[in-house]
Amino acid sequence: MIEVENLSKSFGSTPAITDVTFSVKEGEILGFLGPNGAGKTTTMRILTGYLSASTGTAKIGSYEVHQHSLDVRKRIGYLPEHPPLYLDMTVQGFLAFVTQIKGVSRRDRAQQINRALERCFLEEKRHTLIRKLSKGYRQRVGVAQAIVHNPPVIVLDEPTIGLDPRQMIEVRNLIQNLAGDHTIILSTHILSEVSMTCDRVTIISNGSVVATNTPDNLTAELAGGGGYTLDVAGEAEELENLLNSLEEVASVTISPQENRERLTVKITCLPNTEPGDKIATVVVNAGFHLYEMQRDRPTLEDVFLELTAQDQPTTNTN
Amino acid sequence: MILLNNLLAIFRRELQSYLTSPLAYLIATVFWLLSGFFFVSILLGPEGIIQQVSQREQQSIPTPPIDVAYQFIKIYFGFLGSLVLFILPVLSMGLYTEERKRGTLELLATSPLTNWVIAVGKLLGALAFFTVMIIPILGYEIFIFNAANSPVPPAVPLIAHLALILLAGAILSLGMFISSLTDSTIFAAVITFAIVLFLWVTDLIANRFTGALGEVFEHISLLSNYDTLVQGTLDTTSLVVFASYIVLGLFLTAQSIQLLRGNS
Repeated sequence: MIEVENLSKSFGSTPAITDVTFSVKEGEILGFLGPNGAGKTTTMRILTGYLSASTGTAKIGSYEVHQHSLDVRKRIGYLPEHPPLYLDMTVQGFLAFVTQIKGVSRRDRAQQINRALERCFLEEKRHTLIRKLSKGYRQRVGVAQAIVHNPPVIVLDEPTIGLDPRQMIEVRNLIQNLAGDHTIILSTHILSEVSMTCDRVTIISNGSVVATNTPDNLTAELAGGGGYTLDVAGEAEELENLLNSLEEVASVTISPQENRERLTVKITCLPNTEPGDKIATVVVNAGFHLYEMQRDRPTLEDVFLELTAQDQPTTNTN
Repeated sequence: MILLNNLLAIFRRELQSYLTSPLAYLIATVFWLLSGFFFVSILLGPEGIIQQVSQREQQSIPTPPIDVAYQFIKIYFGFLGSLVLFILPVLSMGLYTEERKRGTLELLATSPLTNWVIAVGKLLGALAFFTVMIIPILGYEIFIFNAANSPVPPAVPLIAHLALILLAGAILSLGMFISSLTDSTIFAAVITFAIVLFLWVTDLIANRFTGALGEVFEHISLLSNYDTLVQGTLDTTSLVVFASYIVLGLFLTAQSIQLLRGNS
């Protein structure tokens, strides 16, 4: 449904995005994840026809966004980071205006407006001036204007930013209800949001795509096999040598615990390994006292931090 | 058909935003107060037309008969022309700056609308508000023409009104272009006023130049073209000059929005 190939855009001499390539299948929700300023908004603005790309192509269905800009804009619903609302209009009046400029036929307008109001839980606010709505309601009106013309593709730029936790859940549910009928691209920097709502994730950093996969695959592939945390009593140096002799172990960090004669051991494993049983066996057989052992599973946070690490030089060297 | 629907949607929204804006009503009030005050003083004031005529008659200076109604139109519309110079930049200043500030430009620009349709719809909306605003002055004119001894040909006031609306169209169009360049409404109003003031008096500047340059300045003057029409001559050159200003403003607006989307 959406095919983006080698998209680049510079503002003056500053590149905003470089060679961005990804695709979204029909009915899918793609999460667009990246730190602030990574190029998420620029990519979305090119997709929606607001900006033109310097090089590369982007297609919505069979339409290239630059060559068939008007056709693309008819088929896309877009919620920018700040919802574009006319404060002096009522919710219903505003949605009616949007159906007119999006080219919805006169016959279908009333029905489409009612459906959007219903889906965004705005029915009781339909005659309220947008100026008088709270932030959460305004965000919903923003989503409503993106779906009111029933576009096949919906692009949402940080749809849950600035909402309270309850409103966030509502908006996420709304987005999940839209999937299937619509193809959705959603940008965010909230990682849990991605694992909750998206079928696939594209991570963008410094204007380039660094990974695209399902949230589960990403965590499995990129953060490696995770590791273990042990609570052990015994001699530190000897334990370290022992653990390092295991081939699945990538690194070992041992630190003494405060107030008692025990050690906290953090072990990182090589990708796709699960040497929990081996570790336990060698530790116990060598005469150490093993009090606790915990599996550290990788999270999307780890993946994200790892992939976007080159953004900021970190002082963290272990 | 779709084009017309889009145009109508933009036009209606723009007009509605004027009709719900306190600032627009404030401007209208100022306009009505000042135009009413000048109406009275031009006609009845110590320096007014009627006073002048009666003085001449008292001093029994032999003068050709004065057509009071015609004189009135010339002077009154001359005054209205200067008044709208101050008022129109305030009406045009928010046309694009507000859209840029609110982010709604992004909505318009990602809808299947061309930059031209948006610009034309907005200009028509602003011009419609202005036209509604000047309706009350028709009352003054009806008053005058009813009292006129030799009836004024209806073409004269009609052309004068056309001139006022064309002048407004030209100023609003240029003002719209300026507003498309910036996020600041105040800045847009000030720059628009400066440009319009310059174009108002270019015929004075023209006197300082000789040759082609002088002629150009003379032709592009808003004031001299406006005066020509107000005097009741339906001069094609003047009509073309006003139409050119309007089209130029629209063209520059469409271009500046295109540039904004290409480079920023």
